[in-house]
Amino acid sequence: MSEREYTTRRQFLNESAAWLGGALIVTYGGSLVQKAAFAAGADAAGKFEPNLFVAIAPDGHVTLVCHRSEMGQGIRTSMAMLLADELEVDLQTITLVQADGDERYGDQNTDGSHSVTMNWTRLREAGAAAREMLIKAAAKKWNVSPDLCHASLGYVIQNTSKKRLSYGELVADAAVLHVPAHPKIKPDSELRLVGTGQPSLDLDAMMAGKYNFGIDVVVDEMVYATLERSPTVAGKIKSLDTTAALAVPGVLRVERIKGIRKYTNNAVAVVAKNTWSALQGRRALKIEWEHDEVSGSTELRAKLDKALEKPGKDYRKDGDFEAQVAGAARVFEARYRAPHLAHATMEPLACVARVMGEDCEIWAPTQDPQGTKEDVAKLLGFKADNIKLHVAMIGGGFGRKSQPDFVLEAVALSNIIGRPVKITWTREDEIKHGFYHGESAQRLTATLDKQGKVTGWRHRSAFTTITRLFNPLSSEPGGFEMGMGCTNMPYHIPNVLCEGVSVPTDVRVAWLRSVCNIFHAFSVNSFLDELAHETGRDAVALRLDMLEPYGVPAWDKKSEPPLDTGRLADVLKLAAKQSGWGGKRAKGTGLGIACHYSFKSYVAVALEVKVKGTQVQVVRADCVIDCGKIVNADSVKAQMEGSMIFGLTGALYGEITLKDGAVEQSNFHDYQLLRMPESPKIFVHLVKSDAPPTGVGEPGVPSVAPALCAAIFQATGKRIRDLPVARHLT
Amino acid sequence: MIELTINGVSRKIDATPDMPLLWAIRDVLGYTGTKFGCGMSLCGACTVHLNGVPIRSCVTPVSAAQGMKVTTIEGIAADHPVKEAWKNLNVPQCGYCQSGQIMSAVALLNHKPHATGSDIDQAMAGNLCRCGTYPRIKTAILEAAHKGTK
Repeated sequence: MSEREYTTRRQFLNESAAWLGGALIVTYGGSLVQKAAFAAGADAAGKFEPNLFVAIAPDGHVTLVCHRSEMGQGIRTSMAMLLADELEVDLQTITLVQADGDERYGDQNTDGSHSVTMNWTRLREAGAAAREMLIKAAAKKWNVSPDLCHASLGYVIQNTSKKRLSYGELVADAAVLHVPAHPKIKPDSELRLVGTGQPSLDLDAMMAGKYNFGIDVVVDEMVYATLERSPTVAGKIKSLDTTAALAVPGVLRVERIKGIRKYTNNAVAVVAKNTWSALQGRRALKIEWEHDEVSGSTELRAKLDKALEKPGKDYRKDGDFEAQVAGAARVFEARYRAPHLAHATMEPLACVARVMGEDCEIWAPTQDPQGTKEDVAKLLGFKADNIKLHVAMIGGGFGRKSQPDFVLEAVALSNIIGRPVKITWTREDEIKHGFYHGESAQRLTATLDKQGKVTGWRHRSAFTTITRLFNPLSSEPGGFEMGMGCTNMPYHIPNVLCEGVSVPTDVRVAWLRSVCNIFHAFSVNSFLDELAHETGRDAVALRLDMLEPYGVPAWDKKSEPPLDTGRLADVLKLAAKQSGWGGKRAKGTGLGIACHYSFKSYVAVALEVKVKGTQVQVVRADCVIDCGKIVNADSVKAQMEGSMIFGLTGALYGEITLKDGAVEQSNFHDYQLLRMPESPKIFVHLVKSDAPPTGVGEPGVPSVAPALCAAIFQATGKRIRDLPVARHLT
Repeated sequence: MIELTINGVSRKIDATPDMPLLWAIRDVLGYTGTKFGCGMSLCGACTVHLNGVPIRSCVTPVSAAQGMKVTTIEGIAADHPVKEAWKNLNVPQCGYCQSGQIMSAVALLNHKPHATGSDIDQAMAGNLCRCGTYPRIKTAILEAAHKGTK
C-alpha cells in the first residue's frame, strides 16, 4: 500500500503497537497557524487578522473560521465557541465562515471523532492571541501596563478606571503588533461559553431553507448530470446505445466516465439542462455490462464462518489462553454476525465541479477536503495549487463523504464537457454504490474456573479490512481496526488472545460511524450478557467485577490518554441507576445494558423494550457518556440522542446483501431507517469530567445493538446473535 | 408553460408536464430549500404544500400544480410558531431533512392545532431523519401546539 496515502487519510497507530490503545493517534494541533511570522498586518480592508481563524473589521465585526466539515455534529458552533470564548466576543454577533480545503489549516479530515480533541487548545490559543494583541494595543494607547486591562465581549477595559475601547477602535493598532507565539489561554474556570449548551449558529439559515448543502450549489453556466454506474465494482461497458437518451428533451450529452478501481465504477453520464431531464435520459440508456467473477452474500457468510475455524493473526496475547482450556471447569463459546451497512445520508452524494484550462474549482459536501484535492490533482494531472475546493454543508456524512468518488466523477465529467456541472446521485445510487461498513463474524470463547470466574478469553474477529481500500491485496485486518473494541477489550482477564482475519468481499468497504466498534461492541457485550446468564450473575455486577481494579490497565499505559476502567465502570453504574436496573419487570418487557470504550470516550446504554409477538418496541433509552471536558453540552446531548436512533436503525434493520457482486437493496423501502413512532424516549446523562476532551460523534453508537439484544433476551428468552434483529422477527 | 404561485409569487415554468414538482422548484424556480431524498415518496424530505395540503413533491408532476399555490420552506415566516419551537429546541443536526419535517409539522398543526403525541407520530412517520432528531422534533411540535398556531 502507499504508506503516505495510508497515513494522511487517517492517522493510525503503528501496526505493532496498535492493540495497545484503541484506534487512532490523536494528532494534537501543534503550534498555532499564523499568517506571518511577525506582524500580522492588516489586509486591504483594514482588518485585523492575527491568524487563520480570527478577523476583526474596523467596525468591530468579528469573523471566525471553521476549518472542520459540518455534517450535523455541530462542529461549526463548537469551533466558534472555543474561539469566541478566548477572544471575548458575543457568539451571537460573529460571522462564521467555512474554510476551503487548504493545508495551511492543518488537518481538516473530519473523521474519527477528534475535531475537538485536536483543536481544544489550538483554537483557544488562536482566540487568546488576538485578545492579547487587542489588550496590548489598548494598553499602549492608554500608556498603562497590559496587566491592568482586560477584555470583555468586544471591548478592552481598564481594570480600575473602567475606561474602554471597542475592538473596532483597536484594529489598526493591534494589526501592527507581533503575534504572540505562546498566548495565555484562560483558566478553565473562567470559560463562559465552553461547557455550556449553545444552539447551532446555523439555525436561521436552516429555518429559512438557505443553508447551502452540497446538493444545493448552483454556479453560472452550470449543467446537471446523473450517472449510470456498473452494478459491480469492476464491471465494464460491453455495449452502449445512447440514441434514446439523447432524444429526451433537455438532454445535452452522454459521456463515458472511466472508473478508478479504488473509488469509482465505470459509468455513463447523462448531461442535461436540469436534473429531471438527466434522470429521464439515464433511464433511456441501453447499456450491457460485462462483469468479473463475482459472488454474493451467501458465499461471503460462508467465507466468514470458515475464517473462524482456524487461528487468525495474533493482535493481542496476554498469558496463555490455550493452556486454560484443558484445566477449565467450563468452556463457553458463542458466535455473532453483523452484515454490511450503508450510510444512507439524507443528502445523497452531489458535487459541482468546474474544470477550465489549468484550473479546477469544486463545491463539495466533503469530510476530507485536502485528501479529496490530492485525488483530484492526481486525476487531472494538475498542481494542487490550481485546485480550489469549497467545502459545502454536508447533509449527513457518517464517513461516507470522506470518500472522494462523487467529487472525482464531477471533475472528470466537467473536464470532458468543458463547463461547470453538478452531478446528483439518486437514493438508489447511494445505496448501491457505497463504501460499506464491513460484514463480520465473531467467535468468542471463555474459560471459567469452578467459581465461574473468567480465566481466559479468546476473541476471533473476521471481517473485511478497510486497508483493502489502500492496498487491494491487503489480507489482514489493520491494528487500528482490531483496536476498535477487540484488542482494547477493557476487562481484567489473565489470559487473552485476540485474533483477526480479513475476508474479501465484492464491494468497497470503508468508514461508517463507529467503524469496527459496531461489531466488536456487539459481540463482546452480548457474550458478557450470555456469560452472566450462564453463571447466574447480574450482567452489570459481572462487568463491574471484571473492571476492577479500577484504573489504567498495564497494557494501555502508553496510550495518550489511556483507558481508565474506573470511568467505564462509572458510566455503567449511572446507566444502571438511571434505567432502574435490577427492578421488577413486567412480562414481555426487557431491560438490556451495554458499555463500550471508543474514540477515547466512555459510554453506557440501557434500553427498555416491549415485545409483543414479532413487534419490538424500544420504549426508553438511557445513554451515559464521559467524553472528558465538553465544549457544547447541547451538542453532546444531541449526538447521543442521534446515536441511539442511528444504532437502533442498524441493529433493527441494517443489512446490505449482495447478489452476483451487486447490492440488492435500493431505497428506503428495502433499506429501512427508524421512523418517529419507533423512536424511544431518550435520556442522556453527561458525566462531568476534567479529563482531556475526547470523541462524541461516534462513541454513542456501538453499545446500542448489544443493549437491544440483551433486552430482547430478557423479554423473550430469545438470544439474537445475528444482526439485524428484523431477520428474527418474521 | 405551466403557471403556478410559489410562496405568493406567480411564476410560469418552462418544463415538461411530467417533471416532478421537486425538480421544477429546485432547478427551474431556484428554491433549494426543498430537498431531494428518495424520489419515491419514502422519506418526506421534499414535502411542500399544494393549496395548503402537504405533498411529496418528488412524485407529484409539475402539471398537477397548474394554477395552484405552492408553499415551500422559504414561504413559511421566520417567526412561525413551528420554526420558533424548532429554534428553541435546537432541533436540527445536519439539517437536510428539516425543511420537509417543518412542512409536515406546519400542515399537521394547521389541521390539528392541538395535536397530541400520537397525532404527531402518525403525521410525521413519513419524514425520515438519519441524524435521529425525532425526539426533539416531537417536543418542538408539542411546544408549538401548546402555544397554539394560527
